[in-house]
Amino acid sequence: MPDQASPSSELPLPRHTRLYVACQAAGWGLWTLVYIGLVFLQGEVRVNGEVISREPLAKDIAFIVVINSLGLLLTHGYRAFLRRRGWVRLPWLALLPRILGAVVVLAVAWTALVWPIQHFLADKAKLTVEVQPATVVIYSVFQGSVFMFVWSALYFGYHIFERYRRSEVERWQLQSTVKESELRALKSQINPHFIFNSLNSLRALIDENPARARAAVTQLANLLRYSLKSGQLETVPLEDELRVVDDYLALEQVRHEDRLRVRLTVSPEAAAAAVPPMLLQTLVENAVKYGIAPRREGGEIALDAACVGGELHLQVRNPGPLARRSGSTGMGLRNAAQRLRLLYGGRARLELREEPLGVVVAEIRLPMTTAPLNIPATESSP
Amino acid sequence: MRTLLIDDERLARNELRRLLAEHSEIEIVGEAADAEVARVAIARLRPELVFLDVQMPGEDGFALLESLEPPLPHVIFATAFDEFAVKAFEVNALDYLLKPVDPARLAAALGKLGGGVGPAGGGAAPDAVRTGRLEACDKVFVRQGDRCWFVEVRSIRLLESEGNYTRVHFDAAQPLLFRSLNAMEERLDVKMFFRANRRQVINLEWIDTIEPWFSGGLLVQIKGGPKVELSRRQAQEFRERLSL
Repeated sequence: MPDQASPSSELPLPRHTRLYVACQAAGWGLWTLVYIGLVFLQGEVRVNGEVISREPLAKDIAFIVVINSLGLLLTHGYRAFLRRRGWVRLPWLALLPRILGAVVVLAVAWTALVWPIQHFLADKAKLTVEVQPATVVIYSVFQGSVFMFVWSALYFGYHIFERYRRSEVERWQLQSTVKESELRALKSQINPHFIFNSLNSLRALIDENPARARAAVTQLANLLRYSLKSGQLETVPLEDELRVVDDYLALEQVRHEDRLRVRLTVSPEAAAAAVPPMLLQTLVENAVKYGIAPRREGGEIALDAACVGGELHLQVRNPGPLARRSGSTGMGLRNAAQRLRLLYGGRARLELREEPLGVVVAEIRLPMTTAPLNIPATESSP
Repeated sequence: MRTLLIDDERLARNELRRLLAEHSEIEIVGEAADAEVARVAIARLRPELVFLDVQMPGEDGFALLESLEPPLPHVIFATAFDEFAVKAFEVNALDYLLKPVDPARLAAALGKLGGGVGPAGGGAAPDAVRTGRLEACDKVFVRQGDRCWFVEVRSIRLLESEGNYTRVHFDAAQPLLFRSLNAMEERLDVKMFFRANRRQVINLEWIDTIEPWFSGGLLVQIKGGPKVELSRRQAQEFRERLSL
């Protein structure tokens, strides 16, 4: 059935149509059989267990088949109407009065169609009690309404259930993707681009400066080991993190040479403070990525760590306007902020701002605590 | 083969130089550390082959290629790890090397050039190529979103003007080229391409059928492409061209 307004949210038509046809055929077919069975039983029961003439049975069956066929046709038309108007997508409150109205209209139409046939088939002789036509009509409309209501309930019940199920599946899928990406994203890793570039520079360095190449291999190993282990630890002493940041910057200096200059200022008490692993590293990586790599003349990365009034202040400065970062996804810093929220609630802060003179500062403020553990991962290799 | 190395890292350039030393057919004529320097070097040195890093300070490798006047030298990309770039290459089968570069992979990439198509051979007289028009086998670099193509001039069916840009129809794609149709037309071979109307330039080798159209015009069906209308004046010129 061509249906212009077929809502895109519905299942593909063929399967849908097949299910509909099956339900209509089964429902009306079954009801016709039950109805015939009832008449048959009634015929037997009518006279105290004695089986009497079944002569009107054929007529009764014909009548039942006719009314049910009419019911089938009416509901088929009803469905076409529903689909064109998109009733399936209406909310409950809007749907219910419409269904009630439609049910009455259908019942009246059904009665109007059935009435002349019933009149024609009626066996006047069998009627023992004279029944008022009005009573019959009202009864017929009422019965038809019940039928149409049950039909509507099944039809909309199915659709509402389908919609609910589908949205449930979608919600579930969405949730799992969000969680997955959250986990994956929050796990800060060393940028693979950096690793392969470093390996490439390292290979060139082997001939050019073997001593420097050997040192670089150690630095890269430290960095990778720390990065792999950091997932298991909540916090590490800042000095451990700084050792790795040092290694990282040394490797970046191999790549960028004199384009990258580094200045570190760390107070002794700050060095003992506990920090989430790879957090400072993320800031430094960002600073190199956005402050040094895109600038032909390079620049200076300045790192300051100090204790101020019970808080640890970490600052990473790099040259360049903040606007340059518009090209980035901001993923690294967003993840870092998210990690801080998870670990410290509202007591930690991450801020990125531009100072005058074209310097970008990334600042983290953490409550001062001392680290519970020292991880062996950063011990320098012999 | 005159070769230019473009990479922002000195060590990376040195490494390539060392790897290329084993290939006697490669003559390294220069190095560049960023796109701006590279553009000048390409114009001056006219290399036949360029090794190009994708990520560089300032403009990246793709932006450099887009800005170059065709015909382009052969290009072999070198990148460390860039999902987007690698995807773009794989889709369009551009040649690329992953850093650190595998010597066997490098040899294979160079091998493909050696036995391959001609612009490098034609480039034996680079000046003639530069000043003249594009040959059928010359390539134009086009990028759209995260995809990029080296399009052979002969495979271009139709060029359509869209303001200051030109939509290039080839294979199954129609990306925009950051060059006006007029500028493009000046570089195209008049024996192969024909200005059908204000907006369209067609490749004569891609014409499927020609039928008469209103008031002495012509309607040309491009193979696998749209129909293009020629006014009477253009149709006149078109007939003359074809009869030649």
